[in-house]
Amino acid sequence: MSVADLVAVRRASAAQQRAENRTLTKLTIGPSPWARAGALAALIVLAALWLVPLAWGTVTSFKHEAEAALPASWWPAQGWTLEAYQQVLSNSDLLVWMWNSLVVATLVTFLTVLISAMAAFAFSQTIFKGRGLLQWLTIASIMMPGQILIVPLFRQMQALGLVDTFWGIVLPQVVAPVMVFILKRFFDAIPSELLDAARIDGAGPWRLFWTIVLPLSRSILVAVAIFVFIGAWNNFLWPFIVTTDPQFMTLPVGLSTVKNAYGVQYAQNMASAMIAALPLLVVFMLFQRRIVQGVATTGMGGQ
Amino acid sequence: MRAGGSPGVSRRDVLRAALVGAGGIALGGSLAACATPSAAGAGRPAVMIWDLFSGGDGALMQEMVAAVAAENPDIRLDSTTLAWGSPYYTKLAMASSGGRPPEAAVMHMSRLAGYAPGGLLEPFDLDALAALGVRQEHFAPAVWEKAQYDGQLYALPLDTHPYILFNNPELVGQAGLTGADGKLDYDAISGTDGFLAAGRAVAEVTGETGVGWGYLRDPAGCWRMFWGLYTQNGGGYDLVPGRKAELDVDAAVEVFEFLQEMVDGTVAARNQDGGAASGRFMSGRAGMMFSGEWDLPMFRDALPEVGATPFPTIFDQPANYADSHAFVLPRQAHADPAAREATYRVLAGLLKQSMTWASAGHIPAYQPVVEQDAYQELTPQRDYARAAEIAVFDPDVWFSGGGSDFQNRMGDAMTDTLSGEAPPRTAVDRILREMDRLLSQPNPA
Amino acid sequence: MTVSNPSITAPAGKAPVRQPAGAGAAGGTRKSLRERDRSGYLFVAPFAVAVGFFLVWPTLYGLWMSFTDQSLTGTGSEFIGFDNYAEAFSDPQVWETLLHTLWFTVLSTVPLVLVALIMALLVHTGLPGQWVWRMSFFAPYLLTSAVVSALSAWLFQPDIGLLDTWMTQLGLQPIGWLTDEDVAMFSIALVTVWWTVGFNFLLYLAALQGIPQQQYEAATIDGAGGWRRLFSITLPQLRTITGVIVVLQLLASLKVFDQIYLLTGGGPNGSTRPILEYIYDTGFTNYRLGYASAISYVFFALILVFTLVRLMPARKEA
Repeated sequence: MSVADLVAVRRASAAQQRAENRTLTKLTIGPSPWARAGALAALIVLAALWLVPLAWGTVTSFKHEAEAALPASWWPAQGWTLEAYQQVLSNSDLLVWMWNSLVVATLVTFLTVLISAMAAFAFSQTIFKGRGLLQWLTIASIMMPGQILIVPLFRQMQALGLVDTFWGIVLPQVVAPVMVFILKRFFDAIPSELLDAARIDGAGPWRLFWTIVLPLSRSILVAVAIFVFIGAWNNFLWPFIVTTDPQFMTLPVGLSTVKNAYGVQYAQNMASAMIAALPLLVVFMLFQRRIVQGVATTGMGGQ
Repeated sequence: MRAGGSPGVSRRDVLRAALVGAGGIALGGSLAACATPSAAGAGRPAVMIWDLFSGGDGALMQEMVAAVAAENPDIRLDSTTLAWGSPYYTKLAMASSGGRPPEAAVMHMSRLAGYAPGGLLEPFDLDALAALGVRQEHFAPAVWEKAQYDGQLYALPLDTHPYILFNNPELVGQAGLTGADGKLDYDAISGTDGFLAAGRAVAEVTGETGVGWGYLRDPAGCWRMFWGLYTQNGGGYDLVPGRKAELDVDAAVEVFEFLQEMVDGTVAARNQDGGAASGRFMSGRAGMMFSGEWDLPMFRDALPEVGATPFPTIFDQPANYADSHAFVLPRQAHADPAAREATYRVLAGLLKQSMTWASAGHIPAYQPVVEQDAYQELTPQRDYARAAEIAVFDPDVWFSGGGSDFQNRMGDAMTDTLSGEAPPRTAVDRILREMDRLLSQPNPA
Repeated sequence: MTVSNPSITAPAGKAPVRQPAGAGAAGGTRKSLRERDRSGYLFVAPFAVAVGFFLVWPTLYGLWMSFTDQSLTGTGSEFIGFDNYAEAFSDPQVWETLLHTLWFTVLSTVPLVLVALIMALLVHTGLPGQWVWRMSFFAPYLLTSAVVSALSAWLFQPDIGLLDTWMTQLGLQPIGWLTDEDVAMFSIALVTVWWTVGFNFLLYLAALQGIPQQQYEAATIDGAGGWRRLFSITLPQLRTITGVIVVLQLLASLKVFDQIYLLTGGGPNGSTRPILEYIYDTGFTNYRLGYASAISYVFFALILVFTLVRLMPARKEA
C-alpha cells in the first residue's frame, strides 16, 4: 500500500467518523443549535479547567528562576528561557530515573502479560487436578490489596537481598490476578472449532498457545499491556519502599525523594515535572485510540 | 472508540514491536551491567555521602565534596541530597537496616538518640580519626559530649546551626534601626514591643511587611521559633517517657500571643510559607527575615550586603534555637575495609573544608577553622557567632530532634493558632496532647 | 466459589472488546478435547509461583509479624500475642487515620463518578473536537503521583501560587489550600478528581458507545426531546457501569497514599493522614514493624468485609 493510498484510506475513515459524530449529535442533543452551543461551551470550560495545571506548570518551567518566585503571571516580563531545563538535565539524575522507570515498567509489563496469559490459558484450555482450587485462590487474591503488604514484603526483599535492585522493584508487581481473568474470559471465547482442529492435527498445548491463542488475542494482549505499563510507570508506593539508593529509584520516587542542593527552585521543579510527564503524554498522543480502548476494556475487566 | 476502525494499526503494531524488541535488548545489557556494580570501579573504593541540605547550603557541601574528591583521586566520591526531614531519616533507617546504605551520612545530632541504640550506626574509631588529624581537643566539649552514645563516638560534629534573624541593611537603615556601625541595632529589636515596633517601622519602608517568616507548611520552622522564644520566656520542661508532659503553660501562651501579634499582615505576612517569605525578603518586600543561617548563601545571591544577628531577645533571657549537623556511619551489612578507610579520609577532609561550610552560614564545629583569622573576618557570620553561646537545643528525649516526626507534630499543633484561627491556648493544649501521646509510646530503638 | 460466579466472569457486555466470532458458543465440545496431561501445571506454574512468593507468603509472614514486636532496627522479635491488636484497637491514631481515609473516600468518590459521567455525556454528543476532549480529560491520569503533587503544590502555593493570585484578584481572602485543617482534605480530593477522573470518564464513554443507536432513533420518532432521551434511555443504560465504577473507585480511594504523602505528609496537624501513611510511619519512620503489620491487618479485615458485602448481591442475582 502506497503512502497516497494510506492517506486516502485515512481521509475516508475520518470522513466516516465525522458523519457518525454528526448522527450522534442529532441523536443525543437533537437539532437545537442552542443546546449544541451550550454543550460545546460546557466542554470548552471543562477542558480549559483540566488543562490549567499543566499549562501553568509549563509556563513556570520556561521562566527565569527569580521571576518564577514572583506573584503569578502568565507572561514573564524577563522573557522565556530554557535555563531550568538545562539545570535539571545537567544537575540531577532525572535521566537515570527515567531509564530505570523504562526498564522497570517494561519488565513488569512483559512478565505480567506472559505469566498471566499462560495462567489464563491453563485455566481456559487445559484440565488438571487442582485447577478449581487454583482459580479460587486467584479470585481470592484479587481482593488482597497489595498496599497492606508493604511491611512484610520489605522484610522479605531484605532477606532475599533484593532491596535496591530492579528485580526487587519488579517482581512483586507482576502478580496481577485481575489480568488473568480478563485474559481467561477472552480465551474462553476463542472458537473451539479452531482449537479442536489444531488438536486433531496433533498440536500440543505449547503450539496451541503460541500459534493460535496468542495471535488471536492480540488486541486484548495489547490492551492489558498498555494498562499494566501505565500502572508500572506511575507506581509510587512499592518502588518508594524498596529503593533507598538514588541510583535505583524510578522517576516518581527519585523526583519526590532527591532534592536539589540549591534551595527551592520553582522553575526547576516544574521543568522536572514536565520532563517526567512528557514520555507518557507523547505516547498517548501517538496511540490515543489504542490506549483509550485498552484502558476502557481492561479497567472494567475485573468485574 | 470504535475498535478496528483505523487501517494503520497493523503497521504500527510492527513498528512498536520492533521498538519493544530493541528496548528489550538494551534492557538485557543494562541488567547484566547492574548485576556487577563493583566491576566498573574495581580497585577504587567508592564513598557515597547522603545529606539533607536542600536549602542553599547544599551547593557548598557539593563544593566541599568536590574539593575533597580532588584531593583524593583514588576515591570515587559522590554525594546525594535527599528530601529534608522525616523522609530523610526514614530512608536512612531503611537503608541501614538492610538496603544499600551510603558509606556516610549527615545527621542532626539531636537525632542520635533514635539511631545509635538500635544499631543502625557504627561508632567511629578514634585512633583512625586521630591519625588523620581529627581529635577530641578540636571540638567544643559540649558538642563532643553530645556526639557520644554509650561511651563511644557515633557522630563527627560538623557545625552548630542557629535559627537567626537576617536583615536587609538598606531597608532597616531607612527605618532608623541601625546603630553607629551601620548595622542593625540588636537592642532596637529587643523586647516584644520593641520588636513589633521595629517590624512596623520596616513595613512602612517596604510598603508591605516588615519581617519575613514562612510558618505555613514548615512545622520545623514553627517549632524552632516557638522553642527558642519559650526558652527566652523562662519556660522549662519535664518530658519523661511514661509520664505526662509538663510545660510552663503561661510562658507558652505568652509566646503565642506574641506570635499572633507578629503575624498580623503588617509586621509579618499572614499567609506565607518559607519559599514565599524568602521571595519577599529577597525582593525587598520585607526588610528582616527569620530563618536558619543555612539560607545565607541564597539570600546573599539576591542581597550581597545581607546582614544578620542572633535571634532577637524578645523575652527576658537571651536564647537562640540551634541544632548541630554531624557525619555518621550507617551500619554496613558487608563492611569493606578499603571503603571504610576511604570514608574516614573523606570525612576528615570535609571537616578541614569547614571554611567553605562557614560561608554557607554555619558555625563550624571543627575549632582549628573557627580560630583562623579568615573565619573571624567573615561577615555577617561573625555578627551572629554569639548565637552559639546562647544556643538552646531540642528537648532531651528520644523522639525529638531535627526533622523528626515530633517537630512535625509540634509545628502542626500550632498552625491554627499562628494563622489566627484559634486562640493561643489551643496551640499549647495541642502541644501537650501530642507530647503526652509520644511519651506514652515505647521507644522502638 | 467457582469461576462461573457471574460477578467475576460475566462478560462486561458493553465493553468494546473485539470478541472473536462465535464467542462462547459450543463450550461442550471443546471440553472433551482439552488437554488432560500435565501441561496445565506448566502453564500455571510461573503465575502460581509468583502468587505464592509475593502474595501468599508475605500475607502469612505479615500475619506472624503482627504478633511480634519486631523492629526495623532488628532488635526484638518476641512473640507478644495479641498485644499489638489490643494497642491498635485503643490507639486513637488508628481510628483517626481510618476516618480520614473514609472521609477522603467519600469526598473523592462522589465527584469522581459525577464529573466523569458529565464529561462522558458531553463528549458522547459527538460534538467536534473529540480528540481534544479526550486528551484534556484523560491526560492527567497518565501523570505519576510525584508530578501531580508537584503541579498541584505549585498551584496551591501560598502567596504566589496561581490559585491564591486569582483569589486576591477577585478580592477574596487567600485560602490555606494545604495548610488549613478544614480545607486540606478538600484540596486533596480536588487534586485527585483532576488526576484520575479521566479513567472513569473512559469507562463511561465506552459504556455509552455500547448503547444501541436504534433506541435513540425510536425515541426521536416518538418525539422525545434531548433531556427526555437522556433520562429515559441513556442514564438507565448506565446503571450497571455506574455500579462497577463506584465499587472500583471506593476500593481505589480506600488505598490512598501517594498524593497525600507527597502534598501534605498527612498534615496540617495530621488532619489528612490516611491509614496507609500511618502504617508507613509506624513501620518505617518509627521502626515498629510488628505494630504496623497489626494495623495493616485491621485495615485488611475492613476491606475484606466491604468486598464480601458487595459480592453478596451479585450472588443473589445469580
